[in-house]
Amino acid sequence: MARGSGAISAATGAFSELPYSLASRVERPDGKTSPEELLAAAHAACFAMSLAGELAGAGTPVEHLDVHATITLDQVEDGSHRIVASELLARARVKETDADTLNRLAASASEGCPFTKLIEASATVTVNAILEGDTDGD
Amino acid sequence: MATDRTAEVTWHGDLMSGSGRVDSVTSGAIGGLDVDWAARSEDAQSKTSPEELIAAAHAACFSMALSHALGQAGHPADELKSSATVTFQPGEGITKIALQVAGNVPGMSQDDFRQAAETAKENCPVSKALTGVPEITLDARLEG
Repeated sequence: MARGSGAISAATGAFSELPYSLASRVERPDGKTSPEELLAAAHAACFAMSLAGELAGAGTPVEHLDVHATITLDQVEDGSHRIVASELLARARVKETDADTLNRLAASASEGCPFTKLIEASATVTVNAILEGDTDGD
Repeated sequence: MATDRTAEVTWHGDLMSGSGRVDSVTSGAIGGLDVDWAARSEDAQSKTSPEELIAAAHAACFSMALSHALGQAGHPADELKSSATVTFQPGEGITKIALQVAGNVPGMSQDDFRQAAETAKENCPVSKALTGVPEITLDARLEG
């Protein structure tokens, strides 16, 4: 495996023939994706949808939401690799809400995202949310 | 050494009628992928979804683990063709993942290949992170 390489394609055609290798997974990416990077994209998308749903449900739909998910792969005591952390960061432009409410909804959105529940089997999930732009000022 | 990989997604509007995009990732290998709820829960219409990205991650992780195990066993694979199908049930979550692999591995028996594939399925880091999925199946066969 150390010298092998592969390619990843999606059934929908949304992406295809993405190269990946062990070196790009655990060292420098060199333009290649990795399972963990794809999971980061999955988690960011899942959480973004969930938070958009929570905000709309609270009567304050999001105008613009920017989500970063960072997944950490690390070597654990027995020498094997594990996914140990996923950090979610949301920057949201929402009228008529406050930072506390946004943080509460973000925590709830993470719990409501199916992928958070699953990945918690192996990783610590953290959630942070920042309110951006125009607010009602109180 | 710990490895961090980040993905960035933007979203506009509510869940049902809004839409988003996977803008960028650390490696730059993917970007500009549209996502929305209808495509995720009904007909994909050429759009990706969190579950499709998980499928790609799992198939890639499984392939690496199996390739490693076969190499260690003295039977490096000429080629492995793997797929993962993730089933998403709205309101319930991910209910099933079906892994399939067809391998071209000189000098290896079907039974040994199936055993190696089963071990890779159990041990790859993505499998370890997805132990909460109610059902993960594996169909492993040698070709040629």
